[in-house]
Amino acid sequence: MSRTARSARRRWLGETRYHLVGLTASLLFLAPLAWSVLVSFKPSLEARQPPLPPWPVEGFSFQNYENLAKFGAGIWTYSGNSLTVSAMTVLGTVIISLLAGYGFSRFQFPLKNVLFVLIISTVMIPFQSILTPLFLILTKLGLQNTLAGIVCVYVTLQMPFSIFMMRNAFDSVPKDIEDAARADGASVFVMLRRIMLPLVLPGVATVAIFAFLASWNEFLAALILLTDQKKYTLPVLMAAIRSGQFGTIDWGAVQSGVTMMMAPCLALFLLLQRYYIRGLTAGAVK
Amino acid sequence: MSTHRYSSEKATIELRDVRKSFGSVDVIHGLNLKVEGGEFVVFVGPSGCGKSTLLRMIAGLEDVTAGDIIIAGRDVTDLDPAKRGIAMVFQSYALYPHMSVRENLAFGLEIAKVARDEIDRQVDAAAEILKIGPLLDRRPGQLSGGQRQRVAIGRAIVRKPLAFLFDEPLSNLDAELRVSMRIEIARLHRELGNTMIFVTHDQTEAMTLADRIVVLRDGRIEQVGTPGEIYEDPDNLFVAGFIGSPRMNIVDAVYLPGQKVGVGGFVIQLDAPVASATENAPVKLGIRPEHLVLTGGENGLLSARIDFSENLGSMRYLHCMLDSGERITVELRGSADLVSEGTIRLTCDPQHLRFFSESGERLR
Repeated sequence: MSRTARSARRRWLGETRYHLVGLTASLLFLAPLAWSVLVSFKPSLEARQPPLPPWPVEGFSFQNYENLAKFGAGIWTYSGNSLTVSAMTVLGTVIISLLAGYGFSRFQFPLKNVLFVLIISTVMIPFQSILTPLFLILTKLGLQNTLAGIVCVYVTLQMPFSIFMMRNAFDSVPKDIEDAARADGASVFVMLRRIMLPLVLPGVATVAIFAFLASWNEFLAALILLTDQKKYTLPVLMAAIRSGQFGTIDWGAVQSGVTMMMAPCLALFLLLQRYYIRGLTAGAVK
Repeated sequence: MSTHRYSSEKATIELRDVRKSFGSVDVIHGLNLKVEGGEFVVFVGPSGCGKSTLLRMIAGLEDVTAGDIIIAGRDVTDLDPAKRGIAMVFQSYALYPHMSVRENLAFGLEIAKVARDEIDRQVDAAAEILKIGPLLDRRPGQLSGGQRQRVAIGRAIVRKPLAFLFDEPLSNLDAELRVSMRIEIARLHRELGNTMIFVTHDQTEAMTLADRIVVLRDGRIEQVGTPGEIYEDPDNLFVAGFIGSPRMNIVDAVYLPGQKVGVGGFVIQLDAPVASATENAPVKLGIRPEHLVLTGGENGLLSARIDFSENLGSMRYLHCMLDSGERITVELRGSADLVSEGTIRLTCDPQHLRFFSESGERLR
């Protein structure tokens, strides 16, 4: 066998192995998602049967979605709650971390580093352990069992990562650009909005994605802090459906709920992933 | 406030006992300086001498610890940068990366709420002056270093400032581009006639651009003067050594009675007395490399052994060692003097000799 033929064969083998491993790994990741989506389209009765094969045998049906929609106060109420909570959390997180990150990056003040480390170190507190005090505080503030209250909790939990992220984003913008804007006559807020914000947008996108995913999927705090059934967010609703009437589980409704909850996360991530990668690696290489 | 009223005005810039401290560290120690309207002044000094800090204080980007800054007769010490009527060009260009060249140029005018058609007119005029018309719709990332610096200068021009401040604007350019941009800035000064302050650590830029040079060291002014004065008549050893390439040679000598000076065994007669020198006291003798000439006779000034020689084509640098161990550099022009090794004897016209005290002060 000639040398070129041998090296071509070896390359073919290498590439095949490479693609096989990649294919297996992506199958492992995608299978549960595909399973959920497929089951959600089975008729309600079929969805309760043993799960093989995972795809609908007796034809596609939207029965599960109809059941889901009728549950409790109606799916739109819960989706609305979840969307409100997530949107407010994203907004709050972005605004606060933008300003705090700018402050930590640009201003010199006493105990700056101590304060920064203190904020970062709060990620080490398991938040389940402070749920009781949080509950009591929110009750005192009259925010218990309100969406605003839960937004406050989510925003607070997002702070360490978000402030860290935004400080790094601002650190990677040269000070000269800011000085140039000041010399051009921009006030602090004009400069932040027109010069700095576009430059730290990848960081903002990352912070926004994280805040959205965290608040959209959060279960425990929502379960404990929201007591009124009308105010449930989607994860709490899912738990309520699962432990349905008399211990029976409507698997079809659960899977359709999962599919519905997954969609906005995927859409948002695909929309912002370009910024997201840039944000995470900001300042890593010059 | 409109930026228009500044147009083509020639503003004086005055620093009165200006100080700057970062915490307990003093970086500018009470400077006094007056820059005349339309003058091109260069701040030069080694890194860390405070020249950029001083410029940023004039620009308003750095607070003044004490003292006053007066631009065009107005005390601007506590004013925002934008209200001082200055425009600054940064070493890193500091263009807004997310905006096109046109938006970069227009930004300052938009902030000042200038009418749209007026902005367009000014931007086009600046682009015309700097020949960046074809680049107006590009982003800074798509430009070369020289083009970016042009845009940065353009951004300064459109604001029609009272004065331009340049913070080492040529340092990031390659050698060739630096020379052409230097000429361009000189041309710009001639055309616009504004007051300009230019910070650099490059003495060639200082010598070629400046009407007056301000030599700074450790936050103090060492000397202010025209390039000629600074070069020919330095006030102290620091200025003498800092300006001029290769550096001025400094040799230990003794000032002798009868207008004579003794260097390593030789005695030379001076044309005029050095009034402030003490007789029989040690002095530092400064001689520029180009003022040393080879001599065949016995009555030289210095005897030196050639260490190595550098041929630059039009001239030759001889790096020599004196018997006393001091190093000197000799600049020889023309091809006649083809010495490159051995011991040589050098002399110098006494009028080119500069005397300094042991502490570095100039003796005249």
